[in-house]
Amino acid sequence: MKHVDWRWVLTGSALALAVSAPFLLSGYPYWLHVAIVAYFYAILASSWSLLAGHAGQFSFAHMAFMAIGAYGSGLMGKYWGTSPLTGIVLSTVLAGLVGLIIGVLCLRLKGAYLALFTIAFSEVLRLTLNAELDITGGPNGLDLPPLLATTSRVPYYYLMLTLLLVSLGFMYWLAGSRFGLFFRSIREDEEAAAAMGVHIVRYKVLAFVITAMIAGLAGGVEAHYIGLITPNILILGQMSIVIAMAVIGGIESLLGAAIGAILIQFSLELLRELGNWRLVAFGLLLMLTLRFARNGLIYPLIERLVLYQARRAVIEGREQKAKQAGEGA
Amino acid sequence: MELDVRDVHLHFGGIRALNGVSFTVRGPELIGLIGPNGAGKTTLTNVISGVYKPSKGAVYLNGERISGLPPYHIARRGIGRTFQVTRAFRRMTVLENMLVPAMALHPAGRRQEFVERAHEILRFLTMDHLALEYARSLSGGQQKLLELGRLLMLDPDVIILDEPFAGVHPKLRETIWEFITTVHQQGKAFIIISHDMETIFTLSQRLLVLNFGQLIADGPPEQVKEDPAVIEAYLGKEDE
Ligand SMILES: Nc1ncnc2c1ncn2[C@@H]1O[C@H](COP(=O)(O)OP(=O)(O)OP(=O)(O)O)[C@@H](O)[C@H]1O
Ligand SMILES: [Mg+2]
Repeated sequence: MKHVDWRWVLTGSALALAVSAPFLLSGYPYWLHVAIVAYFYAILASSWSLLAGHAGQFSFAHMAFMAIGAYGSGLMGKYWGTSPLTGIVLSTVLAGLVGLIIGVLCLRLKGAYLALFTIAFSEVLRLTLNAELDITGGPNGLDLPPLLATTSRVPYYYLMLTLLLVSLGFMYWLAGSRFGLFFRSIREDEEAAAAMGVHIVRYKVLAFVITAMIAGLAGGVEAHYIGLITPNILILGQMSIVIAMAVIGGIESLLGAAIGAILIQFSLELLRELGNWRLVAFGLLLMLTLRFARNGLIYPLIERLVLYQARRAVIEGREQKAKQAGEGA
Repeated sequence: MELDVRDVHLHFGGIRALNGVSFTVRGPELIGLIGPNGAGKTTLTNVISGVYKPSKGAVYLNGERISGLPPYHIARRGIGRTFQVTRAFRRMTVLENMLVPAMALHPAGRRQEFVERAHEILRFLTMDHLALEYARSLSGGQQKLLELGRLLMLDPDVIILDEPFAGVHPKLRETIWEFITTVHQQGKAFIIISHDMETIFTLSQRLLVLNFGQLIADGPPEQVKEDPAVIEAYLGKEDE
């Protein structure tokens, strides 16, 4: 009997659902908007999980890199007249450069010190953006022209979905390559990794650069989609939401973090009537996850599915061997 | 292969952890390094492997100065070491642990070849069946073996083991002993730190004795055993 591979069935259905969502939601433009924002958070949460969950760099600067992508593109457009596309590309590179600097500055910082340093960096950036009224628009924010010449949300939806899938694909490739192997060895034990020949400086900084660029890219696209970016995106609460999404999804799983982000973004919208109570519920969920499900809530499901298949393969292989042995005897 | 430790000093504030240590390892010697607690054995390992830079003196490998180079560089040059407290990559599988040094050493190498080599080494250490387990699920002894296996994937010329026999069951001691002698016969030099006198006197061809950051003896075990300075400073103390 041929066994159904549930992984492919689930991946296929999820993709089909994602691709057909604009048609299913054609009467509900608001929900399409929610989906776009959810994908945006999914990119942030999964790239943060690559940095924190894989490379072990528990950074609070991820939203700052996102904001560099957004403000960078907006300001380049305002002062240099660059097109949104050029602005997004350049500010993605800029986010990578700042990621490089932060990565180098954080080389000797671990745990709480790294967290405090990156919080301070975000705050400095937020306060600067707030203060420079003439340049950045201060607390009122900066207006950005649309990226696409359309009033429809559908093209943006597919753009953000593509961005999510491509960045996930890239990050999975990275995590499965020697880069991912070195990232995790650094997370586990820097000194031991170095003793095993891993160039820890290079790979730590690289983790910062890559994830900063992904966050910057997502920020640029999102800001041009919304048409406005304000310094409020840099408050600690926003960063905490991204972290919470990744933690609830499964901090060591890129896909878990992405799915966690999407589910949480939709739940937060569905529960809008509850006002701030939904954030309370969300906080409680985070606490419960941390206490009782250290691997998150989504990741164990994914893992079970994958392991289930792997175990089946092992069992089938064993049975086959036994059969062959039986025939040989 | 020649490892030359030349007049190495290292001070931590007021503590003189190493105070002018010199010795040379020529070819695949099997060296034991002993000394009371706090003598500076681990510190010496850390200086040779690049964790610390000596405050004075230097370490040379095949005539080239290696002190001052970062640890990963020294590891790739051919000096492998374990830590006094086991440091496996706990939330990675045994196989992944083994792959790290191989891929760090040969970035362009084929993963499949490394996987095969890893299985070979794991079979030698009788832990091939654990290849896909997380290192954290291994027993303390198995983690020690994993560290030794992982070290072989780095294919170093000099292997420094910081207390490989501490806290291990006699049966595992046999396995580690066998590992050392086999790998030594393949042409690798060993520096083995141990407080297990019986083992280290039998195993090693040459003994270094460190006391208060100074080398007080260097020679064949039989000779070192008789050395009055060693008896007074080291063995005598143990009898108290
Ligand atoms: N990082 C450090 N900072 C300050 N002092 C240190 C440091 N590392 C070692 N020391 C000191 O250097 C001296 C030598 O320590 P070391 O760990 O090398 O001894 P050891 O011979 O390995 O001892 P043991 O047999 O107990 O492992 C000790 O006095 C120790 O306190
Ligand atoms: Mg020691």
